[in-house]
Amino acid sequence: MPQLIENLGSAVVVLRRVRAIRGEPADLDEEHLVRRVARGDRAAFEELYRRTSPWLTVRLRRRCSDDQVVAEVLQETYLAVWRAADAFAGSATGGSAVGWLWTIAARRLIDAFRRRAHHAQPPTAGVAEPIARAAEDEVLDRVVGDEVGDEVGDALRTLAPELRQVLQAMVLDGFSVRETSVLLGVPEGTVKTRARRARIAMREALS
Amino acid sequence: MTAHHPGEQLLRRYARGDDDIAADQLWAVESHLETCAPCRGRLVPDPIAETVWADLAPLLEHTPQMPSARPWRRRLTAWVSPTAGPWLAMILVVVFVAVLLDRLSKVAPGGISLVLLIAPVLPVLGVAASWGRTLDPVYELTASTPRAGLPLVLRRTAAVLAVVVPGLFATGASLTQWLLPCLAFTAGTLALGGLIGVTRAAIALVALWAAAIVAPAVALSRSPGAFDPAATPVWAAALALGLLVIALRRTAFTRLGANR
Amino acid sequence: MRNTVTAPTTYAWEIEARDLRVRVGRRRMAVDDVTLTMGRGVHGLLGPNGAGKTTLIRALATVLRPTSGTLTLLGGLELRELRRRIGYLPQDFGYYRRFTVREFVEYMAWLKEMPGRDVPSAVQRAIERVGLADRADDRLKTLSGGMLRRVGIAQAIVNDPAVLLLDEPTAGLDPAQRLRFRDLLTELGTDTCVVVSTHLVEDVAAACTDVVLLADGKLVFQGTPTQLAAAGTAEHAGDSPIERGYTALLAGPKRHGSW
Repeated sequence: MPQLIENLGSAVVVLRRVRAIRGEPADLDEEHLVRRVARGDRAAFEELYRRTSPWLTVRLRRRCSDDQVVAEVLQETYLAVWRAADAFAGSATGGSAVGWLWTIAARRLIDAFRRRAHHAQPPTAGVAEPIARAAEDEVLDRVVGDEVGDEVGDALRTLAPELRQVLQAMVLDGFSVRETSVLLGVPEGTVKTRARRARIAMREALS
Repeated sequence: MTAHHPGEQLLRRYARGDDDIAADQLWAVESHLETCAPCRGRLVPDPIAETVWADLAPLLEHTPQMPSARPWRRRLTAWVSPTAGPWLAMILVVVFVAVLLDRLSKVAPGGISLVLLIAPVLPVLGVAASWGRTLDPVYELTASTPRAGLPLVLRRTAAVLAVVVPGLFATGASLTQWLLPCLAFTAGTLALGGLIGVTRAAIALVALWAAAIVAPAVALSRSPGAFDPAATPVWAAALALGLLVIALRRTAFTRLGANR
Repeated sequence: MRNTVTAPTTYAWEIEARDLRVRVGRRRMAVDDVTLTMGRGVHGLLGPNGAGKTTLIRALATVLRPTSGTLTLLGGLELRELRRRIGYLPQDFGYYRRFTVREFVEYMAWLKEMPGRDVPSAVQRAIERVGLADRADDRLKTLSGGMLRRVGIAQAIVNDPAVLLLDEPTAGLDPAQRLRFRDLLTELGTDTCVVVSTHLVEDVAAACTDVVLLADGKLVFQGTPTQLAAAGTAEHAGDSPIERGYTALLAGPKRHGSW
């Protein structure tokens, strides 16, 4: 019996090794790449960068016209991934590694905006951040879905640009009210009002 | 996935940064790219990304990576106060020494068991280490967090009992004799702790126990009546009272303790 | 899950105190009848030792219950919900010596009930913001006093708080670190209500948008650093206009000789 357990144990170890060795970085998905990066695999990191940076760059550039800032955020993001890959690998299970890559980059983009903003805006009425999910948010979740249905599409298209901007920042990019306010350079109260108007408009268009 | 992959032209316009893409299309492209690796691969490498890589690659050499996380540690600190570890170890050592002394002095006059004498106050030490200004350097910070409060304190107390109770059980002492006093003292520490601070409560109760039970027992060389079956209702009542006070004063654990 | 939009609760000020009194011990009223409002920006809390700065910050951090008066934070959220949006660095910042920087900040993120998924990136970001990325996995006992302060700041900002309370955060920082810390304060102040207690008047001049001056538990002055400076004249002691203003206000007609 102990013999068997020992054999089983070494079999598992061998299997793990095989799995780790097998497959070039090119064959792995992003989650596996991050796990490899966590073990210090430079090739895996390069592959992860090669695969995700074009997308991340474009997405950042569409939110920030300053190439300098985009480059800064890119570098900080991937350096953080390199440094803390082990922690990220643990939390990215089940979720998409690409999704949290965006989250990391998005927070840093906001930080970069904060650095630039300093005291440009006068303090205005603050607004409590969302606490619970409202029932209407289910509607917005349909919007986030991969396919945008015709009705939702029409509703989005007819939305005023400033409302759409807020909706995009909060729903698609996952920013909070405060972060959206920094990103768009408008007071939090305005963000909140626009978000509410956008939601009402969407609901009306969909009903 | 049966997603609609964006067409070549739309993707090119998106990557170029065109701002005349219809809102719904833009939205669909962005959320699609987040989930579709092949489509991400269709994007042409960006010059910015390439410049950044040129800067980044040499940096990796000098940038240390975090060591493998210790997930057990995270699970442990969710239950055991980070300060309680040494105290729990000490409790086990004390139990071990008590058992040893009991075995050595079979002559124990009147059959007093040292294990029994210390059993009720053992968890008190662990509880004091789990929530209190004196023993926990992060007490004030912990008290300011949303997780502070009775649930956290009870969690940590449960962890202490999870060490103490099996430890005492392993000594072979009669379960019926020590379990109830042990629980009553634990509840008492928290109940009193809500009023005067857990550390003070622990000291007070240990002193009370030593003066009222241990000292007479040693002086008179006979097993204290506190462990008689007749005392069971008293212990049960004490436990119930302790729990009641804790329940009534549960918000005490969300603020700084009374002792300063 | 992504952030979602819900019905708004608007409030004019992040912090609103009315006739606030906080008793310490049996008799001493450490904060006595303070009425003030604070919004976004960096608020410097000044005052001599024993003026009640720490007690006021503790009350704002919700660890001390006001004896009387009202204290409304973020429009009056339920305590637990409110605490998720507060960052706090106590004056005597204690830590667990055997934890690494990352483990400690992670532990605090857990205590602050942050969603598990967000924790690794939030922790990494907080550590980077205080400039400790290279020491992230070193044990706390190996760090210098200035670095430990920065760990304290990192744990305070890890949950991206709407109200950030820092009690003497610059103690132990060397001049270069203080400069970087002021930059971080200014950055945080753009969308956070930051309250910094300090006895270093130059910190206030450099980073604060607003100054609150306490003496004997009472509010002596609230205004901009410029207004504080304007209160002083050449006759008052001090090396800078702000220091002279500080001395002037503390040595006001009612409290001459006390400092």
